[in-house]
Amino acid sequence: MSPARTQAEVEGRRQRARLWTTSGPGLVWIMLFLLIPSAGLLAIAFFSADDYGNPVLPLSTQPFQQVAGFSLLGWDAGNIAIFLRSLQQAGIATLAAIVIAYPLVFFILSRPPAVRPLLLLFVILPSWTNQVVRTYAWLELLGPNAPLSWLAHSLHLLPPELGLAPGSLAVTSGLAYNYLPYMIVPLYASAEKLDWALVEAGRDLYAAGIKLFWHTVFPQTLPGLLSGVIFVAIPAFGDYVVPALLGGDKAMMIGSLISAQFIETPDWPYGAALTLIMLAFTGLGLVAFRIFSRKLGGTGETAI
Amino acid sequence: MKDRILKKILSVTAVLSMTMLTQGFSAAPAEAQSNVPVLNLFTWSDYIDPALVTKFEAQCHCKLVETDYDSNSEMMAKLKLGGTSQYDVVVPSNFVILEMADEGLIQPVDHSKLSNFSNLIERFQNPTYDPGDKYSIPYQWGTTGMVYDPAKLKNPPQSWSLLFDPAVNPNYPFVLPKGEGRNEISAACAYLGYGFNCMAQDQWVAAAKLIKQTRKRPNFAGFVDETPALSQVKTGLLATSIAFNGDVGNCHADGSCRTLQYFIPKEGGDIWVDTMAITSHAKQPALALEFINFILDAKNGAQLSNFNQYASPNAAATPMLQPVLLTPMFSPPDTEMSRLVFLSPLTGAKLKLFNAIWTSAMQ
Amino acid sequence: MIPRKLGYALSGFAWPVYALLYTPLALVAYYSLAPAPNMAGHSFHAYHVLLHDGAAFAALRLSLILALCSATSATALGTLLGYGLCRFRSRNARGVLAQLPSLIIYTPIIMPSLVFGISELIFFNFVHSVTGFLAAGLQTMLIAHITFEIPYVALTVFGRLSGLDQNLFEASHDLYADGLKSFLYLVIPVVQPAIIGGFLLGITLSIDDFTISFFTAGPGSVTLPIYIYSAIARKGISPEINALGTLMIGTIIVIALLHFFISRQRERTRQGVFPPPQQTKGAV
Repeated sequence: MSPARTQAEVEGRRQRARLWTTSGPGLVWIMLFLLIPSAGLLAIAFFSADDYGNPVLPLSTQPFQQVAGFSLLGWDAGNIAIFLRSLQQAGIATLAAIVIAYPLVFFILSRPPAVRPLLLLFVILPSWTNQVVRTYAWLELLGPNAPLSWLAHSLHLLPPELGLAPGSLAVTSGLAYNYLPYMIVPLYASAEKLDWALVEAGRDLYAAGIKLFWHTVFPQTLPGLLSGVIFVAIPAFGDYVVPALLGGDKAMMIGSLISAQFIETPDWPYGAALTLIMLAFTGLGLVAFRIFSRKLGGTGETAI
Repeated sequence: MKDRILKKILSVTAVLSMTMLTQGFSAAPAEAQSNVPVLNLFTWSDYIDPALVTKFEAQCHCKLVETDYDSNSEMMAKLKLGGTSQYDVVVPSNFVILEMADEGLIQPVDHSKLSNFSNLIERFQNPTYDPGDKYSIPYQWGTTGMVYDPAKLKNPPQSWSLLFDPAVNPNYPFVLPKGEGRNEISAACAYLGYGFNCMAQDQWVAAAKLIKQTRKRPNFAGFVDETPALSQVKTGLLATSIAFNGDVGNCHADGSCRTLQYFIPKEGGDIWVDTMAITSHAKQPALALEFINFILDAKNGAQLSNFNQYASPNAAATPMLQPVLLTPMFSPPDTEMSRLVFLSPLTGAKLKLFNAIWTSAMQ
Repeated sequence: MIPRKLGYALSGFAWPVYALLYTPLALVAYYSLAPAPNMAGHSFHAYHVLLHDGAAFAALRLSLILALCSATSATALGTLLGYGLCRFRSRNARGVLAQLPSLIIYTPIIMPSLVFGISELIFFNFVHSVTGFLAAGLQTMLIAHITFEIPYVALTVFGRLSGLDQNLFEASHDLYADGLKSFLYLVIPVVQPAIIGGFLLGITLSIDDFTISFFTAGPGSVTLPIYIYSAIARKGISPEINALGTLMIGTIIVIALLHFFISRQRERTRQGVFPPPQQTKGAV
């Protein structure tokens, strides 16, 4: 064994020890209080359901057949539509949040340092009122008697008796409104340390505008943006409060479907199977997202 | 400089939260603090006059701790997961009583301890949803009908067609309740001529199909429960919805919805009852019975209804009720009562079938 | 820095966005001024009713305790977690084991809140029945809230650190042989904005959570969202509920503004007496 290798080994061991003293408590906490309990609950996806939806033996694949769309009443494409719809809503809401967050974050950065925390706080503050109360107000703003709907009426986009809410536009805007702070905060945290010298240097190279932004600002803020996308896209995908209030659950979303299996029309194995499938797809999405982000950032250091 | 401010903020919050933490922990288990027995009531928030709580606590030399839920199904999920030993009295709606009993979530009520039981209106002493009030004692009741805005819908027929017939309401937004599906399927059944209390599979399927069609109408505004839906009718978001009589009577009385009209459809509607039941593993069954008997008292029953502004199942309380609670809006005349039924309880395989049908209607 | 012209454009975009963020709140405030029963015109009737509602204030108190305590703890755990993963994880490691931390850190974000709440309830019941610890109540809610807040702090901190030059850490390591010192004097100041942001996100998540709180709550623990959801189910959105929302947000805005102006005033007087401070780095 060469001394160099031993040294590397020692260093590696020390590194691992440091990793566990810093990251250990948080990771163990999540493992103990979420991973283990939820693994227990999700295991019931492989059980049969009794009349009250409780899991019973024997083991069964029926919950997964239900996920695929089979029920007492035959096959139905409903679940697939729900899945695609949730994906679409979450995607659009995330894009909207990005488009709003970037200018807002740089607006905050264009102000004197003393005012910045206040401006950041004021982005978050609306979220400290109750979500239902806030969303009801949003519903009123998109209702038939509100200016936005008048505009739609006058453009003949909407019959005069109806409002913009409930509807898919209302759900998307409600999701973006709700999750905007979760995009702004990480983006701000990473944009705040922006190296302006790089931007100035880039100005000579790329002139200005989008190109300058893309080559100098964007790579530097990418880590924050990626965290933001995760904070917005995933919870928006599974959200069921906003679709219920602003969409009237007219078009069901995956979060509502799962919640119904545990609460309103209990069928726990089916609910667990739905959750497992959803987790699997989200996990795949995250892996794809990581590969994509590494390509964008050039290094492996942009997202955990 | 900023760092200093930040450190100050952080240290202040840290100290503050630590003191709150220690305070909160000592305050958390109410039983640990004192030796008086604790009765745990699991109910809707703001559903009992605080003065009644104080009065009961003085009478029983106990403490009443209230916890809130926002739907029957959520309450049942919580009871299933260990809540049967955490709470003593729950307030379920009539149509889930037998389901809860069948699942072992509640225990029979010992009528020998209820000296005030005979105060109940006769109709509520032996209701179809719980024969002989074996598991449940009525708390408040009301009717389910329809509310509409006459400024938008002119003289509609007094029928469920206001919801289900596109010709009656082609343009204005309306909703159906979300809930567990009983009222919605029943209303659709009534419209289709099967009667409000339909129980056959093919009738349910036909009703579900009708709801699926209804969902596709451009002016269908979604699934919203009765009480929040009324708020939306008041502010003009909706033109009509299924509603509870008490809610409409309330906003008539306080002047916030004078123009809205309420009716019980000619095809029939339902009487809902919120009841008191004792959980199967209640730690204080004797106190629970004492509480139920306390509510059944004429004076207390009247105070409860006067606070909640819902009709009282307590006949002896009637003379002490506020006059508004005796108007036809709250206490329907016999002609209307004849059209009203209690929803039949669903248990076992029948419930599973119903749930499957309702789920498919919602998707 | 940001060119002046772009600055104007940014302001032109940002102020309307702020206005939009606060429009629903203005409407909430407007509805809270609903007329008293059988009266015309606006009134403070709802506030009057609210002030006599002990249950609402008890719920508000519990929510504040929960939000502050959980966000503080989650900020501590999450900051360490984000720092450790960014700094000490071998970049070349492959295989399932190396991916494990990522897998763990994302679960609280992707787990549907209902499954989250029910799993924890079952788990806490089990632990309680075996050991006698963790009876349902504030402590179980606190644990659950910390769990779902940790990743938000950790990922925000990670995002801030990961773009930084690794040599900085190496240099600090030479400077302060002690790892703890290097963490306190170098890392903490650098990640400050992320720590504050993560803390604020934690409060936001906690104060608005209904589902997980409902399932992990014990008898008597009614948070503000639980109180409000339940009140809406039986009485609808009442002027009192709107008044509660208005009071809460109004108080926070006043405190934030007061704090800002007082601290600025203090800074000014200090600058008058002492020479101006050096350029602050990583200022928030």
